[in-house]
Amino acid sequence: MTERTTTVDLLQGTLATLILKAVSWGPLHGYGIARWIEQVTHDDLLVEEGSLYPALHRLQARGLVTSQWTLSDTNRRVRCYSLTEDGRQQLRAEMNRWERFSVAVTRALQARRPSKAV
Amino acid sequence: MTPPGRRLRDIFRNAEADAADEIAFHLEMRERDFHERGMSPLDAHVAARRRFGDPTGIARQIRAIDDRAARQRRRTGMWTDFSQDVVYALRGLRKSPGFALVAGVTLALGIGANTAIFSVFNAALLRPLPFADADRLVFLWNRTTDGGPSPLGPGRMRDFRRQMTSVESSAALAHISYTLTGGGDPESLPGASVSSAFFDVLGARPLLGDTFHADRADPSAVVLGYGLWARRFGADRSIVGRTVTLNGRPRLVVAVMPRDFYWPFITASPSGDGGPQLWVPGGPGDVPRPATNEDADVTGDRNTGYIRLVARLKKGVTVGQADAEARALGARLSREYPEDGGRTALIVTLREQFFGGLERPLWVLAGAVGFVLAIACANVASLLLGRGAARQRDLALRRALGAGRLRIFRQLLTESAVLACLGGTAGALLAWWGTTSLLEVAPPDIAAGGATFDLRVLTFTLAAALGSALAFGVLPALQFSRVDLAAALSEGATRSTGSRRSGRIRDLLVVGEIAVALVLLVGASLLVRSFVALSRVDTGIDTHNLLTFNIRLAGPRAEYQARQVEFYAALQRRLEAIPGVVAAGSAVTLPIGGDDYGSSYLVEGRPTPPPGDEPHAGFDMVMPGYFKAMGIPLVAGRDVRDSDARTSPRVVVVNQSLARQQWPGTDPIGRRIVLNGDSLTVVGVVGDIRHLGPSVPPRAELYQPSTQRSFPFMAFVVRTSGEPYAMVPTIRRAVAELDPALPLSDVKSMDDHLARAMARPRFLSTLVTAFGALAMTLAVIGIYGVMSWSVSERRREFAIRMALGIRGPALLAGVLRHALLLAAAGVGFGLIGARAATHVLDGLLFGVQATDAVALGLSAGLLAAVAMAACVLPARRALRVDPVALLR
Repeated sequence: MTERTTTVDLLQGTLATLILKAVSWGPLHGYGIARWIEQVTHDDLLVEEGSLYPALHRLQARGLVTSQWTLSDTNRRVRCYSLTEDGRQQLRAEMNRWERFSVAVTRALQARRPSKAV
Repeated sequence: MTPPGRRLRDIFRNAEADAADEIAFHLEMRERDFHERGMSPLDAHVAARRRFGDPTGIARQIRAIDDRAARQRRRTGMWTDFSQDVVYALRGLRKSPGFALVAGVTLALGIGANTAIFSVFNAALLRPLPFADADRLVFLWNRTTDGGPSPLGPGRMRDFRRQMTSVESSAALAHISYTLTGGGDPESLPGASVSSAFFDVLGARPLLGDTFHADRADPSAVVLGYGLWARRFGADRSIVGRTVTLNGRPRLVVAVMPRDFYWPFITASPSGDGGPQLWVPGGPGDVPRPATNEDADVTGDRNTGYIRLVARLKKGVTVGQADAEARALGARLSREYPEDGGRTALIVTLREQFFGGLERPLWVLAGAVGFVLAIACANVASLLLGRGAARQRDLALRRALGAGRLRIFRQLLTESAVLACLGGTAGALLAWWGTTSLLEVAPPDIAAGGATFDLRVLTFTLAAALGSALAFGVLPALQFSRVDLAAALSEGATRSTGSRRSGRIRDLLVVGEIAVALVLLVGASLLVRSFVALSRVDTGIDTHNLLTFNIRLAGPRAEYQARQVEFYAALQRRLEAIPGVVAAGSAVTLPIGGDDYGSSYLVEGRPTPPPGDEPHAGFDMVMPGYFKAMGIPLVAGRDVRDSDARTSPRVVVVNQSLARQQWPGTDPIGRRIVLNGDSLTVVGVVGDIRHLGPSVPPRAELYQPSTQRSFPFMAFVVRTSGEPYAMVPTIRRAVAELDPALPLSDVKSMDDHLARAMARPRFLSTLVTAFGALAMTLAVIGIYGVMSWSVSERRREFAIRMALGIRGPALLAGVLRHALLLAAAGVGFGLIGARAATHVLDGLLFGVQATDAVALGLSAGLLAAVAMAACVLPARRALRVDPVALLR
């Protein structure tokens, strides 16, 4: 908790956004979220499971997701997370930001030799 | 209901189990997944765990996050509850504006009075002095044989400055008044001649320019005080570098001190004037100049004490250590130099020096206003009890809807806090307005410190408000949060529950109010009686129709120095010639409000006492006619006269006290005493006067004719046949005819000097009486309220009894018996309290004992009578109703 490098920070922020996206269609448990991310990214992004649950609980503390206990098909107690209205807004904002960020980075990386004009 | 401990454990166990469940489910799912993809059960199990990491660590992390969130929720929940309570309280107050107004005004008076007194207290005793590290600054005085402080002579001052090892730096100063001429009327200003290190030692920085410094000081420079700069020079910022004329000499203004650089009165003199307004560097050897002759080189003088020494103690040195060193050094110097007169030395902190005498009066005032606040709280508490009874159903409903007792208690206390804060705000405004008028009528020494509304005062007000909220709020809150649901909700039975207990509480409040008000009244009547005793004291002077003013011949009037005596004699003749002037005279110091000089002397023909044991007497120099003008009777021998010239044999007039001390039962005329090495013949005896003011008994006094030993400044007294101030223009003209550039300073009637000397006792007794009256009024309102309410509660009972044939007067007698019991208990406790409390008045009383029976009896009687009256009215009103109408 005390030392966070920038990459972890970025990753955590990204992870939070991915979680919000994952539960945007309906309640999902932690494992389901992890699997969804693995599937949609073709295992390019491997969710570090150790940080998934703290991230979920932090989102819940911020009121972006809520959780309730349900029974799974195997009759197990399962905690399922769903998006709150605040979470939906947050997701929208994050998606927006990410789009602008990636467009900007792409533009920068595809740029040609700089012109002389200042 | 589950005990809170168990509930807490449940929560934790669930949270723990939840976290474990959640993780276990994940591991299970992953394991199943791996297995389905073809791993062996064992491999799948191991791989799933490896992939996940440390389950217990993560579980702990999750729980920490959840706990923090829960705490956060609780906090906001509490905050929401609190703001709800505040809104609810405000709505409740709006619904009963009468209650809100009475309680609010009561609290505003109590808190406001406390804030006002505290702001003065703060200014004088708490606020840091406007000097760097002021705790290390002290005064060093000669310790006289009676233990009091007296100023140092230049030689002794130099020795202290050189030899004190516990001192880091020091500076000397002497008070001199300066005549400012040019650009307006000539004006006489209090000033000081100081060592060049003065401002450095104090660590004081100027507002404009630069002050003198230890290593350099232009001998013709002057530093101006803020007040003088603002008043006389219109706060002109270009003043630095300009020249002003002081005592006829040009002086270069090098600096202006900031507004908060105050240097209050520092003499022990009862006049306690406002302190220097300008500072000039000292003379040769960095010695402050003496007021008597600014041009004299006095560096070698050890005899004339006029210097005040300010020293900065080294870090870590205590005042006690410095005092011990000064004492030892002072005694050694006195042995080495017999002319030092057998004295030791004395260290006094700056704060003690400036404000020491105020501590006790301010504590008395603080105690008085504290009592007022206590009574105010008792009143509001009983109002709340009365109001709470009516709200019992409402509160019971809230209980029934699930509000816990603690919740109700908190809500009731919040209401009290809201009420107290409203009252406190009004009180602070009241105090702001009040202190201004308070300081206007305050004696100069109390007013000198001023009153400030700084953060400390506002914190005090807040603390007073919240403290009162607790004081008046806890009892009613306890009472009503305990409400019995069933009893309160069922009709009919409402009145009986709890009212007996709240009745007892109310009785206690009444007894307490009477007791506290009585303590205040006793204190007030003691102070008033001692003030009356003080004003009846015969000072030995006929103060009626007596005008006084000072004339100073110095600097520019150097041409007078050779003929000061002639000048003063000529002025006296001119004054006497004015129609309406009965007599005129002059002396170096006037009694009551003037300075105080003293001197030791020897009686010729008697063995010389050991150093330090010489007889001591007050000392003055007078022109012929002074005693007559003052109304001091000549008891034996003759007055001083013009023929007592510089060249004639030296003579002296003594007062009756001195004659009685030295020559009891025999004729003092013709005896000889030795004063400053001169042999003087006693030619007359005059009546005693109270030189230092009405509260200080007469002492031995010596009067030398100033025709034989002249002085550059004299104080004139003019006895007039009519209003003394009406003569001022004529007198100014008479002085101007002799010298148009000569200012009259400190023009004041002797009655006003006397009033000023009495200002502190008058102020104190007036204020404490006002607070006593306020306390009594509040107490009476409180008693009236409580009695009328308890009687009205018993109206049904009265009606039944009357219907049964019991007569009204009999019922009234019952009510009164109860009231009398309360009053008696209150007076009893009050007398005990007064006995314990009045010892703080020690030293403030004059001519009356703290156990004065008249003061005690009158106060007790008055309060008991008023308390009874407050009971009778509601009782009679209650019995006047028609029982039939009430019972139906």
